[in-house]
Amino acid sequence: MSFSVQDIIERTRKISPVDARYLAVGIFTILIMIIPLGAGAFPNTVMIEIGFYSIVTMGLIMFMGFAGQISLGHAALFGCGAYISGILTTQHYLSPWLALFLAACFTGGIAAAVGRVMFRMHGLILAGITLALNLLFFYLVSGLSDLTGGAIGMTNIPPLSLGQYTSQNILFNYYLLWVIAILLLIFSLNLADSRFGRALRSINTYDGGSEEAAQVLGINIMKYKVWVFILSAVYASIAGSLYAHYTRIIEPNTFMIQFSALVVLMAIIGGRSSPWGAFLGAGLIVSIRQLLREFAPMLIVGPTGSYELIAYGIIMVVVLLFLPQGLFPIIKKAILKRRPGFS
Amino acid sequence: MDYSIALQLFFSGLNLGSIYTALGLGFFVVYSVTRVLNLAQGEFVMLGGMLVVTFYTKGIPLVPSILLAVVITSLAGAGIYRFIIFPARKFPGMTKVFLTLGCAFIIQGIALHFWGWEFRSLAAFFDTPSIQICGATIFGQTPWVIGATLIMVAGLFVFFGHTIQGKALRACANEPLGARTVGISIERMALFSFALAAGIGAVVGALITPLTMTSYSMGLPLTAKGLLAAFVGGITRVEGVILGGLVYGMIESITAGLIPWGNHNVIALAILVGGLLIRRRGILLTAGKG
Repeated sequence: MSFSVQDIIERTRKISPVDARYLAVGIFTILIMIIPLGAGAFPNTVMIEIGFYSIVTMGLIMFMGFAGQISLGHAALFGCGAYISGILTTQHYLSPWLALFLAACFTGGIAAAVGRVMFRMHGLILAGITLALNLLFFYLVSGLSDLTGGAIGMTNIPPLSLGQYTSQNILFNYYLLWVIAILLLIFSLNLADSRFGRALRSINTYDGGSEEAAQVLGINIMKYKVWVFILSAVYASIAGSLYAHYTRIIEPNTFMIQFSALVVLMAIIGGRSSPWGAFLGAGLIVSIRQLLREFAPMLIVGPTGSYELIAYGIIMVVVLLFLPQGLFPIIKKAILKRRPGFS
Repeated sequence: MDYSIALQLFFSGLNLGSIYTALGLGFFVVYSVTRVLNLAQGEFVMLGGMLVVTFYTKGIPLVPSILLAVVITSLAGAGIYRFIIFPARKFPGMTKVFLTLGCAFIIQGIALHFWGWEFRSLAAFFDTPSIQICGATIFGQTPWVIGATLIMVAGLFVFFGHTIQGKALRACANEPLGARTVGISIERMALFSFALAAGIGAVVGALITPLTMTSYSMGLPLTAKGLLAAFVGGITRVEGVILGGLVYGMIESITAGLIPWGNHNVIALAILVGGLLIRRRGILLTAGKG
């Protein structure tokens, strides 16, 4: 019995797609779990940042990649989670865990209400509406100063705690965040391969689906669009709550359109057809940003941050022009040749 | 309500409405020719404003500064079409929207590199003093904003409605195959529309710099507002954009005057988004399904 890479790949080919899915998740989980053992505090904070972005991007991928809808307002959903968590814990003294749960429910409810009217419209007009809604959210939290602290934001949000550990502890927060991220990943992967996921793909006009054909087959497209929007919102809200309890300070500027655009960028680069793309995209972009922050000031003079933006733009354009499906399909193909049905 | 306050709100609404109309025009020009939502439009506005401030503070008189800024921004718009949108002309509409978002990132980064984080401002054009009419104060820049918007609107109206070139532009979106058959180069028209939209954006940037300060990050919020104004009125026609812009401006001004709570932006945006959701094809019912 040999354990060469080739051999493992051979075995992977023989197992069923469902097993392969869990095998991949298992390998990924082990990788994530052993990273902190070998690294200092700095890469852990970077990995935590990647985790936040990954969860939001995963939600966006379900909305954008599975269902083919456009959203440029996910920062508002992320902010919704963060602010509701913050308000419930600092002003009503609820447990952070309960606040996280209630925030997710509430954000999902908002998404249901907004989605119900928003999805009467098709295609690109959604881009305009979600952009406007994001701006609306920004003005709302900046304006309601009694509730949200206005432009200054909220401070002293209590951390999540489990026994003696709190999420101020970087390592505890790392594991907490990534366990949640992996659970959500498993949910997304299974969702993609369910009746619900296939229905979403059938209405995905961006990747060759057709709303009319889906309707003819008896798919209630409104129902599916609203539900995927709710799920997407719940993902963003969970990430937002975790973010609020981790940094313990939130301010409106974080939840501006810039964040939404960044999440869209991650979904596109990673590959919008699979939840794995979220981790790939978030990991790549955050790493690039970190590298540029470290090394760019040595090479070129100018305000930091400008190279990041230029790099994001160039990466986005290059990926869209030459790899419209993002990076994940290529990696998948490289790992598993001639094996369809593995998502 | 006091008469003078009403007049004040009217003028401020007219001013804001002109700005939103002018913002929306950029989206209209690109959309009506290529059916692309250009999310980099707000960045053209920012770029125009920044360039005008830079040239003006270097000692170049105002009018040549604006002209230079318009030319440079138009070239940037044409470049974006030629090198980024043109290679993707066969791709789905959503890909093109994301490409323009990528361009927005690049322009923002370049602006941040050259102009930094600071906010820039200008005095009102030619130092026009504020005017008093029946107790209402009109800021010196307002007549310039309204005048320039009127000229742009009239120009586009004549151009799209009554010239061969303008009709050829519209034909590209309405009936691409037919347009090609009669010898219209769709690519050239699209290039022209991007340059024109960028130029309009630069003029808007110059106009609003004395009113609101210009900084590298103001592009995307402007994109959101301009797009909303254009959609509310009906993005496929000049009349729609004018109506949408004016309605948005008036609502924002009236809510700012009537609501003591101070955050009029929220109410104005909520009314507009709500209105758009109810009447989804715009006030003029001209927006298509796409």
